[in-house]
Amino acid sequence: MTSASTRATEPPADTLFKLRVRIIPAIREVWQRRELVRTLAERDLRVRYKQAFLGVAWSVLTPLALMIVFTVFFQRVAKVDTGGAPYALFTYLGLLPWTFFSTSVNQGGQSLVTNNQLVNKVYCPREVFPLASMAVAAVDTLLATLVLGLLFVITGFMPKPTSVWVPVMLVVQVTFTFGVTLIMSAVLVFLRDLRHVLPIILQLGLFATPVAYGMDVVAPQYRVLYSALNPLAPVIDGYRRTILLGLPPDWHLLGPGAVTSALLLAFGYVVFKRLEPGFADYA
Amino acid sequence: MRDGEIRATGVWKRFRADRQRQLLRDQLDRMKRRLAGRSNAHGYRWALRDVGMAVGPGESIGLIGPNGSGKTTMLRLLAKVMYPYAGRVAVGGRVGALIDVRAGIHPDLTGAENVYLYGSLLGVSRREVARKFDEIVAFGELETAIDRQVKFYSSGMHVRLGFAIAAFTEPDVLLVDEVLAVGDAAFQQKCLDRMRAVLAQGTTVVFVSHDLQAVESICERAVWLRDGVVESDGPVRDVLGDYRRTVEQAAEILTPAFGLVRVVKSEIRGPGGDTPVSQQPLEVKLLLESPEPIWASMSIGVSEGPATPIFLLGHEAMLPAGQTELRCSIPFLPLPRGRFYLWFGIIESTRDLVPWHPVGQFEVLGPELTPTPRGILRMAPVQVTPTWEVEER
Repeated sequence: MTSASTRATEPPADTLFKLRVRIIPAIREVWQRRELVRTLAERDLRVRYKQAFLGVAWSVLTPLALMIVFTVFFQRVAKVDTGGAPYALFTYLGLLPWTFFSTSVNQGGQSLVTNNQLVNKVYCPREVFPLASMAVAAVDTLLATLVLGLLFVITGFMPKPTSVWVPVMLVVQVTFTFGVTLIMSAVLVFLRDLRHVLPIILQLGLFATPVAYGMDVVAPQYRVLYSALNPLAPVIDGYRRTILLGLPPDWHLLGPGAVTSALLLAFGYVVFKRLEPGFADYA
Repeated sequence: MRDGEIRATGVWKRFRADRQRQLLRDQLDRMKRRLAGRSNAHGYRWALRDVGMAVGPGESIGLIGPNGSGKTTMLRLLAKVMYPYAGRVAVGGRVGALIDVRAGIHPDLTGAENVYLYGSLLGVSRREVARKFDEIVAFGELETAIDRQVKFYSSGMHVRLGFAIAAFTEPDVLLVDEVLAVGDAAFQQKCLDRMRAVLAQGTTVVFVSHDLQAVESICERAVWLRDGVVESDGPVRDVLGDYRRTVEQAAEILTPAFGLVRVVKSEIRGPGGDTPVSQQPLEVKLLLESPEPIWASMSIGVSEGPATPIFLLGHEAMLPAGQTELRCSIPFLPLPRGRFYLWFGIIESTRDLVPWHPVGQFEVLGPELTPTPRGILRMAPVQVTPTWEVEER
């Protein structure tokens, strides 16, 4: 037994805990616990539908309402060049990826804080919380996509065969969204008041992204830079080109967007892993 | 590292003194201070200091200590929920942690939905949960409530649900933090039985509790944490004995600041005026001083240290003004060998003439207490000498 008086008041410097971020084993662990992501997403969905009277309709309501607003205002006020496609379809194709992104970042960004009871008490790879939020957002998007089908029927407009390119854009979209969500969730644990700023930033983001308008608003010489800064822009543009216009994606724009997305995800994952030891202490 | 092994060396852990404030403003403040070359060290308090612990597979170890001594923090480090500031923590095999069983349970979901949710959180596959579902429900005695939302559960049912799931996850190391306190007596016994069964399968158990009897009935070894430092580590009875004595010493310092009647002197004697002996007569003498004549209902209690007596003796009498000697004899002392404490109080519904407080301690000679088999909760060390006969028929 050591008496308290002879005890050091600080740990010896050479024993300080050093964090080693090992990405591959970390990813493997998340993969092993993929069932947990599903269960957590299921929990959030079940809880939401138990509490909400309108249930499934909520998933569809947000993009639908915005679509109607945009259609009513933008179509009348500003003449947007849709390349001949109905404006409702044009803007809805922008709203789908945007809503997925904004819900993911908003919900996933707060996921470590809202799940602090679990972060504090149960061990699991912490990535599951933002991932589960994204899964919920994905379900919403899927439901909202059913409405897209309905819109095609109503407008009598047929999707073009070039729609087979859609998965390429989808990969870029998910990569970018995941990267931003990871960074947001990790940083939010330490900067709590960011929680209140986040909705405002996302609100502005909606207008910095070609949702209501098309890529042609941006001067041609800035489009590459714009795509690199906001990968959602070439993604949305790609969806419109392939589904509505029968064109292949604009690779000169999608390429930089994909590079940014990949770099952002890699950076975000490292940030997340580096901040992870503090989550339980502060969440 | 073998499965079920725990090795912690030189573990330090600190928390920010003010844990609530995580605002942008505070972070900027900290950054400014760091840039100015001043350290932020004063803003921390140590939860664990240089804690070492080595536990072999299949061992059962109890973590004891007062509130805020670092027990739960240690458990969280073992569970990998938290990371140490310095030192190494290594745990072999799968860890099952029961740190606040209510954490993983969502009030809006039904019991059944929660079984799957909590199972997943503890790392059990859905298939495995489905296979054991009926067993889990039966163990938690939740057959009639399993399809109800958990927010309509009583707090006892809540804990039963949590423990039932966790008890069936079959980890290599089971960490249990103060979860038995909420259930009723029958369920507590069930939990203890379950933990014993788990131990018999070779699982390592780390058990945190304020219920020293429960610790004693489960664990072979105990580690006593005090202000984040290991105060003692050894066989459970020795450590618990030390711990109870210290709790008592802390109580003794608090000689009552109020009370009309004062205890001037106390004396405890065994046969012939010597040290008390197990199974022999015992005499207690108390010298009381009262400023006025008073009708007093007096209580004398004997405990191992805490305020909860093993047995209690009560008597009512008239105390005249001035000093009075109170003598109390019992013909047969039912205590085993060890150190015990005498508590005294004159307690009325309207006022405490003498608050309940320790007035003396004494050693008892005689036989050791009959050892308790694991999983049986003994409330107090009362030693009774029986006669046994085993006859072949």
